[in-house]
Amino acid sequence: MSTTFPPRRGPGRGSNRPAGGWAPALTPRTAVRIAILGGIAMGLLGVLLIRLWFLQVINAEQYAERADGNRLRTVITQPPRGNILTRDGVPLVTNTTGENLVARPRELTGERRRQVLAKLAPKIGQTLPALMKKVEAGDNQPLQSVVLARNIDPGLYRYLAERRRDFPGISLEETFLRSYPQGQLAAHVLGSTGPITAEQIKDLRRRGYAGDETIGVDGVEQQYESVLRGTPGRSVVEVDAAGEPQGREYISSRSAVPGRDVRLSIDSKTQVALEQALAEAARVTGAVGAAGVALDPKTGEVLALGSYPTFSPQTFVTRKDKAVSALFNDPDRPLNDRAIAGVYPAGSTFKAITAAAALRSGIITPTTPLESPSSIVLYKQRFQNFEENSHGVIDLPYALRVSSDTYFYQVADDLYKAQSEKNDVYPLQAEARRFGLGDETGIDLPGEVPANVPDPPWKKRAYADPQYTDFQRSWLAGDTIQLGVGQGFLQVTPLQMAVAYGAIANGGTLYTPTVGMEVRDPNGRVVQELSKGRPTRPLGVSPADLEAIKQGLYDAANAELGTSTSVFGALPDEVKVAGKTGTAEPGDGGEDHSWFVGYAPFDDPSIVVSIVIERGGTGANAAAPAVCSTMAANLDFDPDLCGDPVASR
Amino acid sequence: MTTTMAPSRQRSGAADRIRSAVVGLDWLLLLGVSAISLYSIFVVGRATENDAAGPRFYLDRQIIFVVVGAVLMVLATRLNLERLARWSWGLWGSLLGGLAVVFLVGTAIKGSNRWIDIGPFNLQPSEMGKVAIAIVLAGIAVDRLEDVGTARFTLFLTAVAAVPAVVVFLQPDLGTSLVYGAVLAAILFLVGVPWSHFAVAGSIMAIMVLAVLWVLPNAGVKVLQDYQVERLTAFIGAERDTSDAGYQLDQSKTAIGSGGAVGKGADGATQSSGNFIPEHHTDFIFAVSGEMFGFVGGALLILLYALVLWRGLRTMARASSQVDMLVAGAIVAMIGFQVFVNIGMTVGIMPITGIPLPLMSYGGSHTLTTLIAIGLLLGIHQRRSAIPG
Repeated sequence: MSTTFPPRRGPGRGSNRPAGGWAPALTPRTAVRIAILGGIAMGLLGVLLIRLWFLQVINAEQYAERADGNRLRTVITQPPRGNILTRDGVPLVTNTTGENLVARPRELTGERRRQVLAKLAPKIGQTLPALMKKVEAGDNQPLQSVVLARNIDPGLYRYLAERRRDFPGISLEETFLRSYPQGQLAAHVLGSTGPITAEQIKDLRRRGYAGDETIGVDGVEQQYESVLRGTPGRSVVEVDAAGEPQGREYISSRSAVPGRDVRLSIDSKTQVALEQALAEAARVTGAVGAAGVALDPKTGEVLALGSYPTFSPQTFVTRKDKAVSALFNDPDRPLNDRAIAGVYPAGSTFKAITAAAALRSGIITPTTPLESPSSIVLYKQRFQNFEENSHGVIDLPYALRVSSDTYFYQVADDLYKAQSEKNDVYPLQAEARRFGLGDETGIDLPGEVPANVPDPPWKKRAYADPQYTDFQRSWLAGDTIQLGVGQGFLQVTPLQMAVAYGAIANGGTLYTPTVGMEVRDPNGRVVQELSKGRPTRPLGVSPADLEAIKQGLYDAANAELGTSTSVFGALPDEVKVAGKTGTAEPGDGGEDHSWFVGYAPFDDPSIVVSIVIERGGTGANAAAPAVCSTMAANLDFDPDLCGDPVASR
Repeated sequence: MTTTMAPSRQRSGAADRIRSAVVGLDWLLLLGVSAISLYSIFVVGRATENDAAGPRFYLDRQIIFVVVGAVLMVLATRLNLERLARWSWGLWGSLLGGLAVVFLVGTAIKGSNRWIDIGPFNLQPSEMGKVAIAIVLAGIAVDRLEDVGTARFTLFLTAVAAVPAVVVFLQPDLGTSLVYGAVLAAILFLVGVPWSHFAVAGSIMAIMVLAVLWVLPNAGVKVLQDYQVERLTAFIGAERDTSDAGYQLDQSKTAIGSGGAVGKGADGATQSSGNFIPEHHTDFIFAVSGEMFGFVGGALLILLYALVLWRGLRTMARASSQVDMLVAGAIVAMIGFQVFVNIGMTVGIMPITGIPLPLMSYGGSHTLTTLIAIGLLLGIHQRRSAIPG
């Protein structure tokens, strides 16, 4: 075939080679094959052109978007949260820095995501599915980084910092952490900070949160979140493949505005003394819990608020799973703020309110003499005095001084007789509500409970279940009589009692208690008053009646036979205390709760303190000394002047 | 027809030489090659200006490579392939020797051992081997033209190519060994091996690919490393594959696609400047070009390659000897194969095999080799032109 056509070129140099080597270069067969080769080559280049058209002309926009997603990164810089200080300027919460471990979902896709996260999971003690879920949650906002672990250990930090290349799409971000210079002090007031939960996220998104921030959980941190938070900075930067910023310029930038400081009305000395007093009382009596509140009766400002057992807010910064779950699962419930959410029968501290109710309804006057025998029989039921004491014929101040139960049983019985279910008239309950019981005080702390002032409609509701009989649902005389001495179904919080006694102390005005005092900008300028302008309400008790109650409370702490004279009797004149012990029967047959609520100085009260020691025994026993030492710190007298308690009601 | 004139060597007088050089020069091929080389210098420079090695590191070296390559190209035009082809076995031995040196010296280098360290530059014998194997195979084929069509001929040539190809494959450098295969295929095809042989070879290859990628791994025998399999199969995968190879491919396609019709310009090419494109100055340089100059730039570049290939094909058809024709054909196949596989890889229609884009990718050995190959093409063209008629 190759010979069909003459050679195009004759042999040249090298003709000594075999003739085959000089076969014509271009035979038709060769020509066909060259043409095929050329056809293939041009065809393939054509394929490339078509593919290029597809990528660059038809789908250009999609890829351009993807390229922008690659190079543009919105960097949200979290501002430092505001500090929290006491009224005397002691910092309770400040900031320090730590490192968060974050992932960029866009750089972690498909199999690569699984691989990287699987490597990471054991290092940060999380499961792969949990990490996958976190990163997937960030998929709809691929420019935002997703926090995988907060405040990682220095060891892990070094490990990851050295192996950046092994963990593509994972990086470390500096973050502000809460710091507690005073340790556990005022932990329940402060609350803590933590990640946004799944339930909160929808609501918070509307308020401009991205979802991965740390927000205030409980306490002042939660209450004043909007003030403390500040405004996050938002900068769009151009980055390279390693996530390193390109150049110095931001595409757009808005810097973070630090949160504002909140100054509390808490007085550091009083707070320290209160917490120590609670812990000491708990230690002495073996109590599982205790709580107390100190207020300025003239303003409602909280001077101290404590709950025992307490916790270290630092636990929520370190976030060791074990320590956190231990706090949540502790049977003694240290996270529970007993001062605002702990409910107890008021015991005899309620007698001041029974007295006010009786005076208001005219059942007694301050001087009405009533027999105070060791026991009385009402409705065929015997009601006893404490330790079966008998006081003879006494008036109201004396009844308060010695905490006569039989006196108040009789008064309460009269109040029962004055009540009318038909007309919905309940004088004793109404008085209790006037003193703020049975309802939230409105303090600027989350988690407050209303507790309960029981009345016939309440009892019907509470015993609505078919397992109860109509008799059990009905309100009995004994219910009011028990209520008259602060027992039975009555439930109050230590804060409510402090507010109620504060109203007695200040001459009849019920204040809304406040913890926050003012908001300050980072330069220390006051930008908002928090404690001013909160609602107040008059008690409506006549001055003469109030005077009699106050006299009774003064005598109870100072006069002979006063229930807490042994504790407060020796105090100097300028810090004389008025107050009432309470021994509340929990209703389960266990040890009584020990109460004391009182204020000082008697002439011009500047502090009212309410303390309950769970199962602490009689009021004078555990609570009164704790109140005394708290007042000592606030009023600056020697706590050794507080006397040893003698058991009394 | 006429007899040939005496070869140029017998010509006397510089003027004559210049005259024949100028008249016989394939100006269009030279134009295309120059355009691509200059464009390469530009793109390599811009792609690497943010690199850790310094803004001009790769640029300066690429300029040196092109200049040296140009000199070698001119020298290559004077190369007498007829004579060189007689030394086929010597050339073949040298190639194996060079590869052997790599195995001895290259052991110290991590990863793939392809280079011999010579001062500031690394020599990659397997690159030079692309041209060498073309000449070797052409020479041997022409030596045995009478055997063409026999299985013995086909198998023999295949074996000659396979020995260095396997050595290169073991470096491991799958891409370059595939280029050897392309050169072999082109020479067998052009020399007139029957279609049936290609059918058999094609079947064997298909079976081998299946075996290597699917049957053997399933049977527990690993021929390729996992990353190699991943790279080879990434382009078949989903749009947003996320293996390392998938990531590379995704970034490459994102770069090219985001370039759009006219590109983002050299300053706006963020995929490139942000290091999102892997190997932005070597294997994935087309992605950089595509991002910078879009479809227009990419199409123009492809057309320049079409020009080069067309001139190569034309030169083949007019080659003055079988050896010239075969070598020219091997060079056309070599360049065409690499262009298609490389660009195909960056746009996601071919496996990622680590084949450079001729005349565009940064690299000394690679640039020199391609320019020498072009020089051979120019020489073949010239020899034919030197013969009137």
